[in-house]
Amino acid sequence: MTRTLEYIWITLVTLTLFAYLIGYLKYISTTLVAILLITTFVKGQLVIDYFMDLKEVRLKYRLIPTVWLFTVITLISVAYYLPV
Amino acid sequence: MSKQLSIKEPYPPGDFAIWIIIYVEFITFALLFLGYAFSRRLDVELFNASQLAVSQTSGFINTFILITSSYFVVKAVHSIKNMTVESQKKSNIEASKWLLFAIMCGIAFSVIKVTEFSHMFGMGIHLSTNKYFMFYIMLTVFHFLHVLLGSFILFIIYKKTKSHGYLPNDSKGIETGASYWHMVDLLWIILFPLVYIIR
Repeated sequence: MTRTLEYIWITLVTLTLFAYLIGYLKYISTTLVAILLITTFVKGQLVIDYFMDLKEVRLKYRLIPTVWLFTVITLISVAYYLPV
Repeated sequence: MSKQLSIKEPYPPGDFAIWIIIYVEFITFALLFLGYAFSRRLDVELFNASQLAVSQTSGFINTFILITSSYFVVKAVHSIKNMTVESQKKSNIEASKWLLFAIMCGIAFSVIKVTEFSHMFGMGIHLSTNKYFMFYIMLTVFHFLHVLLGSFILFIIYKKTKSHGYLPNDSKGIETGASYWHMVDLLWIILFPLVYIIR
């Protein structure tokens, strides 16, 4: 029996713990923010593919939340990195 | 030469109507997330200073709770989807067990959130305190209402599994509720680093 779901859960928890530990730093560098945003995208995509089970659905329905997630995270990055 | 074909499902799991609702929620929350991100850009110092008043530990625990509850919901869906005529009772019982765990997670999330809100309001922080708290309260209260609705939906499904109401090839109802719950989880996965961590 495959344990895919368990591995996904462990990955999600580990990435969340990573984000939490970053939050403890007094100064968060722009590189760390980039890593944090990338891991957020990875977490979201894992939920979309394995929890929502869209991996087994026609590509267009899988792409809707993926494109949404990508756009939101990209625009958050733009807001963070663009000079005022 | 043998070629393995993977046949994809034509539609997402559950009733398609829930997906329309999910897409609308995506747009609504995207606007709030971006409203927060671009407002922060204009006053980084205020946002960073105000963020110190919120508990990152509560945010982390709540993220852990939602991710775990989503896992439980997937297990419940699998129990129903893999059901046979012979295993109908057993599968319903198994699904009800997983759903109960998920509902308990929903309750735990709610208790932590209510504690956080009462602490914050007790400190005299409200919507008009500053822009950070306006977005913080709007985003987290709005999301919290979705958790309450999601928990209620899971409870309805739980009651049906308790009465062994799901039959083989009848997983649409549980998949519909599960899709909504995963959306609630997905939204929090973005909300947590955005509001609690990034500075």
